[in-house]
Amino acid sequence: MIDFTVKIGGEAGFGIMTTGLFLGKIATRSGYHAFEYSEYPSLIRGGHNVIEVRISDALVHSQTSEVDVLLCLNKETFDLHAGEVREGGVIVFDNEKTDESLLKKPDRRISYVHIPFTRILRENQLATVMLNNIALGVLMQIIGADPDILNKLIAETFARKGEEVITKNQQAAALGLSEAKKDFPEGYKTKLVKINGVPEKVYLTGNEAFGLGAIMAGCRFYCAYPMTPTSALLHYLAAKAEKCGMVVKHAEDEIAVINMALGASWAGVRSMVGTSGGGFALMVEAVSLAGITETPIVIVMGQRPGPATGMPTWTEQGDLHFVIRSGHGEFPKIVLAPADSEEAVRLTVEAFNLADKYQTPVFVMGDKYMQEGHQSVDMEKISSLPSVINRGKLLSQEDLLKTGQYKRYLVTDDGISPRALPGMEGSLHQANSYEHNEEGHTSESASDRIQQVEKRNRKNDTYLAEDFRLPEVYGPKESPLTVISWGSMKGPILQALKETDGLFNYIHFSRLWPLDKAKLKAFLKGFRRFLLVENNSTAQLGQLLTMETAMEFPDTLLKYSGRPIYPEEVISKVREML
Amino acid sequence: MNTQNLPTPTAKINAAFSGYFPTWCPGCGNFGIWSSLKSAFNKLKLHPDKMAIVFGIGCSGNMNDFLWANSFHALHGRAVPTAIGVKIANHSLPVIVIAGDGDCYGEGGNHLLHAARGNHDITVVVHDNRVYGLTTGQVAPTAFKGAKSKSTPGGIIEVPVNPVALVLTQGATFIAQGFSQDMIHLTDLIVAGVEHKGFSLINVFQPCVTFNPANSYSFYRERVYKLGADYDPSNFRSALDKSMELEEKIPIGVIYKSERPVYTDSLNQLKTSVLAGQSQNTEFIKFINEFV
Ligand SMILES: Cc1ncc(C[n+]2csc(CCOP(=O)(O)OP(=O)(O)O)c2C)c(N)n1
Ligand code: SF4
Repeated sequence: MIDFTVKIGGEAGFGIMTTGLFLGKIATRSGYHAFEYSEYPSLIRGGHNVIEVRISDALVHSQTSEVDVLLCLNKETFDLHAGEVREGGVIVFDNEKTDESLLKKPDRRISYVHIPFTRILRENQLATVMLNNIALGVLMQIIGADPDILNKLIAETFARKGEEVITKNQQAAALGLSEAKKDFPEGYKTKLVKINGVPEKVYLTGNEAFGLGAIMAGCRFYCAYPMTPTSALLHYLAAKAEKCGMVVKHAEDEIAVINMALGASWAGVRSMVGTSGGGFALMVEAVSLAGITETPIVIVMGQRPGPATGMPTWTEQGDLHFVIRSGHGEFPKIVLAPADSEEAVRLTVEAFNLADKYQTPVFVMGDKYMQEGHQSVDMEKISSLPSVINRGKLLSQEDLLKTGQYKRYLVTDDGISPRALPGMEGSLHQANSYEHNEEGHTSESASDRIQQVEKRNRKNDTYLAEDFRLPEVYGPKESPLTVISWGSMKGPILQALKETDGLFNYIHFSRLWPLDKAKLKAFLKGFRRFLLVENNSTAQLGQLLTMETAMEFPDTLLKYSGRPIYPEEVISKVREML
Repeated sequence: MNTQNLPTPTAKINAAFSGYFPTWCPGCGNFGIWSSLKSAFNKLKLHPDKMAIVFGIGCSGNMNDFLWANSFHALHGRAVPTAIGVKIANHSLPVIVIAGDGDCYGEGGNHLLHAARGNHDITVVVHDNRVYGLTTGQVAPTAFKGAKSKSTPGGIIEVPVNPVALVLTQGATFIAQGFSQDMIHLTDLIVAGVEHKGFSLINVFQPCVTFNPANSYSFYRERVYKLGADYDPSNFRSALDKSMELEEKIPIGVIYKSERPVYTDSLNQLKTSVLAGQSQNTEFIKFINEFV
């Protein structure tokens, strides 16, 4: 089995992230799976950036703590990360810029590859932007990948810039490759030999998956204000807007963002907003507005460590309670938390259908870890996803004319009222932020109030009856220990499960709210002992489950350093408990 | 308000746009604005089904139940962004915002600047009574310096906002001022504002007889004057000069008017149909392919 990790580090602003992305694509185009994880400070230049790509011939769900090949584009990378390189691994560094005798080498058998990056740039009069091409050439030699795949990738990337730019970039890669050949002719023991006959793969981030899901769902309005880790969703959709017929609006603040989206949704357009905790805090009043006006909306909530500005470029699952409880007053809302690209596309499409069906806010929660890292998935898994659009009780013009006197907030058994759009003949109605009667007119009468509260609450019951799903279970059915987690931590946990050959089983929550107490309790009773794994400090899913089922979850693995949980950490905790 | 014991709405019987009879204080300037809006909509031959009004929260916004057309009663301060969303989604609908000065210049002041910059084709009618009516009379951002209220017993320290100068300098393409008592004049301003292609602000002086006796009908009658035929509203500089006439003499009429492409005109996505009418993008496979 092939499973190795390449880590690339250097100063911010030198194309480290692009190098990682290219490497991942080279792997997936060679038939392998890849998983990317990056760490960078909230700075544009000068900070230390690292990106790692784990490559395997099997599906890979997470990063790992051991590195096979470390490529140092500055000395800091060596100092910080040489200790992570495994026995028999490779470290590449610029021996002309860094005095080898000053390096604190780990006490292990490691191959040191000397590449004079700065001299190559100087002697060939190349700009520093070419550094990543040289690095990629070096990597091609070390991991024995096909340089043609790299050359083709370069050609595609710079297609619009012309032949000359393409050739220059390819030449830089060739220089790196030949330099590495001189110093390290044998290459690393594991080689990225192209595998044929395997399914074609796509390589995308959670943000791109959210965007793709929105396109597939027929979303026509995306509104946002930039905020890590969700900015890249805005960038992706803005770039595709004209092509997919979506209007993408960068509004003046998050309050405007969500109110614009609600206006657009009321007028009939599938609408989505995206933000992170701080921006979402500004949106909260309007979440409640969506609740009472019964306006569908999809909200992508990308978590990062708070409170306040917190640690912008790091990861955490700290906003589960905030989201579930968001908005003053009582009204139904639905909260989903996909873990990986495939789930992110699927649940985003579903979020739009649920929002239209229940005419209420639907959340898709992510975090820095899953939104910014690329992950491979078999193309077929995405392209075969159902992209059925279900707009719920949205009336056609014909149906509306048959309705007679239209009542926007008609009391119904399932709590959902037929929806007409402004502009349709016979549509006269109000979407009202005040409590209202069936027609939408402001009302403070006790009977109207009770009727409308109960009508809205019945949507919850309808959801539980028609759309509630128990969490998925991975691993052996019978096991003395069951790990419970949610959202993005699925990856490291599945990886741990795989690496221990099913030492435990795993309950994955991707639909966090609302929960069916009775079904959930009966389901959880079927397991013996639990370990709660969460990327936060207060076990928010655990608290939620206790609240709903009165069960306690005393054993926890919680991490709140801004870093994701590693499979190794799960394995050692599980071993400790068994 | 409580609609329970109110008489049968008139809308369904005859006059378009007439909802429940207003619950405003007798003599409130809002009555004049209400009548002018209805006359203007009738003059414009608007249809209640085929337009959208977004109301703010305040005594002004409470018009939602008195003026019937498709409407969204939004959040306090957020009527403008809500209206922009409606317009982007269906730019064939006339979109009108009705809000108070507290709503539009205070709570949601930021949105106004950006709406003007974007030249979003919406008409914003602001009820300028220099107080927060609905919350019982605290000062609004338009209150004159020194105005005493429950929240400013010693008199307000800040100087008033200058709404006309504010939106003029931020790119608004239609700016007018009206007086709620001069309904014929105000009706014409609303007609012109809705007909204008681009962002229009109509600031209406509206006496609040309950909480602001200082800025009464007679206060305005003594001060307002109509801009004459000799005034050129296309001249930015003279509009800026007019915007500075705030207290002694107050101009009413169209203060500024210019032409600039509206926001939705710049979107190729909207060239062939309104956004709300577009169907599913069935070619998403090509977007998936880009990730190979
Ligand atoms: C976020 C929020 N803050 C405060 C309020 C309470 N509130 C309702 S109306 C209003 C002020 C109304 O003043 P204005 O906008 O000038 O309208 P008027 O009543 O004078 O027409 C306030 C503060 C609210 N509804 N929402
Ligand atoms: S409080 Fe003032 S603004 Fe409100 S209805 Fe009464 S008079 Fe009109």
